[in-house]
Amino acid sequence: MSRLLFLRRHIGWLVAAMFWVFAHSPGASAKSYELEATLVADGVWVVVGSTDNFSKTNGGNILNTGFIETGEGVVVIDTGPSRRYGEEFRALIESHTSKPIVKVLVTHHHPDHAFGSQAFEQETLYMLDESASLLEQDGEAFSDNMYRMIGDWMRGTEVTVPMNRVQPGLLNLGNRRLRLIAMQGHTGADLVVLDETSGVLFASDMVFFNRALTTPQTPGLALWRAEIRQLAQLPFSVVVPGHGPLIKDDRAFIQMIDYLTWLDDVLVDSAARGLSASEVIETAIPERFSEVEGARYELVRTVSHLYSDYEKDALSRH
Amino acid sequence: MRRYWLYAFTLFASASWADLPSDPLGSPLWAYNIERYLGQDVTVVLDERVGLSVPGFAEDSTQVPLAVNLREFPHKVNKVVTWVDMNPVPHLFTANSTDGQLKLVSLNFRVQQASSVRAAVLDEHGVWHIDSGYVDAAGGGCTAPREILTNSDWESEFGTLKTGLFSRRGNTRIKASLLHPMDSGMVGNVPAFFVGDVEVRNETSDNLLLTMTLSESAAENPMFVFEFEGGVPHLSIHMKDNNGYQFETAIGEVAP
Repeated sequence: MSRLLFLRRHIGWLVAAMFWVFAHSPGASAKSYELEATLVADGVWVVVGSTDNFSKTNGGNILNTGFIETGEGVVVIDTGPSRRYGEEFRALIESHTSKPIVKVLVTHHHPDHAFGSQAFEQETLYMLDESASLLEQDGEAFSDNMYRMIGDWMRGTEVTVPMNRVQPGLLNLGNRRLRLIAMQGHTGADLVVLDETSGVLFASDMVFFNRALTTPQTPGLALWRAEIRQLAQLPFSVVVPGHGPLIKDDRAFIQMIDYLTWLDDVLVDSAARGLSASEVIETAIPERFSEVEGARYELVRTVSHLYSDYEKDALSRH
Repeated sequence: MRRYWLYAFTLFASASWADLPSDPLGSPLWAYNIERYLGQDVTVVLDERVGLSVPGFAEDSTQVPLAVNLREFPHKVNKVVTWVDMNPVPHLFTANSTDGQLKLVSLNFRVQQASSVRAAVLDEHGVWHIDSGYVDAAGGGCTAPREILTNSDWESEFGTLKTGLFSRRGNTRIKASLLHPMDSGMVGNVPAFFVGDVEVRNETSDNLLLTMTLSESAAENPMFVFEFEGGVPHLSIHMKDNNGYQFETAIGEVAP
């Protein structure tokens, strides 16, 4: 029997055997995010992720999520990068409180914040109207990219668009007063949640701290900067950035304004000098941003997202 | 059988390239594409002074910036050829520097999958100097539908040409942005439709400074950057696509 014929006859058995080996190998199901909740105020917990890029090592646990006990159930902020994260996050919430989860607020449509939604009851999921449209539009492409970047951690994850819409304004729930604020700087539709009762500000990806901000859907750096100035006026006690460590003063806002101003200046100045995109991505990162993780990597991305518009503005039409 | 053919091919390819330096990036297409774009029995040296610059990863597979910055290159520049090894049509552009004064050329390209990228410069002695880069990519750039189609008024914007003249370290730099779909012909039911020829002229002397031919790897809405040695106060640029459309303008005042 030729080798090829052998393979053809027995391919079914071989595939079955391979599946069996995969299903029973210790690595296959042992992946865990090992999430931990930190109590930041009475009844308010935060789950802090790393400031790295997506990788097959961290499974996309690079963001901060949180949950608030209101006396009339639990409000969850963001669901994480994958179904697996969502499931582990939900189990973690249920280990800290016996109250039911009544509202899950998905702050924006980026996959690291919205892809754990499957693990929660569909009728508890809420999102801004515009964010939901963006998730409908970009979700599948994000999903493909996430499978490429974190691989097996994505297993079973399907894009889930929250069925309910969240309205900006005050949300009184039990003993809590939550202020829901709709902003645009990061993706065009970004939800910020201020727990007025404790002063914990869930700024989500409007604020990155000691982690370079990302710009794939920003409507503009100047708009983003103006909204950071509004955030800085809020009566907060703790800022929970979307990425990076928690902070009790306004240093995250100061860093954001400084960084956005620097980025905008680099792009304007480079365009005025006639630099090509290849030259702009080599721009020196100022020493004062040495603690900002991923600045070079994100500069390459930002130039790809935004520089061509700056370039065209600096040219004259014929 | 196919395997023997491959062995024979490899043997043949390596035999004819006894003097070819080995590829620093180990691409299987190294010798093949050199022969295809530079010719047989050419003299090739590896040379970082060619100054090829590409990002380590493609954030957008349909728009990847490339620059060949010849500031450190000690020879006359007669010709610059660039290609993307793993693209369906690897060739990006060939630029002829008619007076040898080209100092920088930059153009955005598409990438179909992670690939090595090459820039080869022909000097006055007939030697090809090659520099390489590597772009990681999710890919699909060559077969992605054009972005311009999602913009309903693209026909009114089509052909918009914007230019600028800049002074860089005593040299003259021009930038030209053209709104053009640059269809590669690799998307279903969309025939190839792209700018294939570019010329830059010194308007004062009427000398040709540069002629350039482009291939399918060039990205939609091309942004050309050229830098020439010394001061050239009045230039013009002229482009032609494969459907006969021509785009041209004078580029006149040096920006402050």
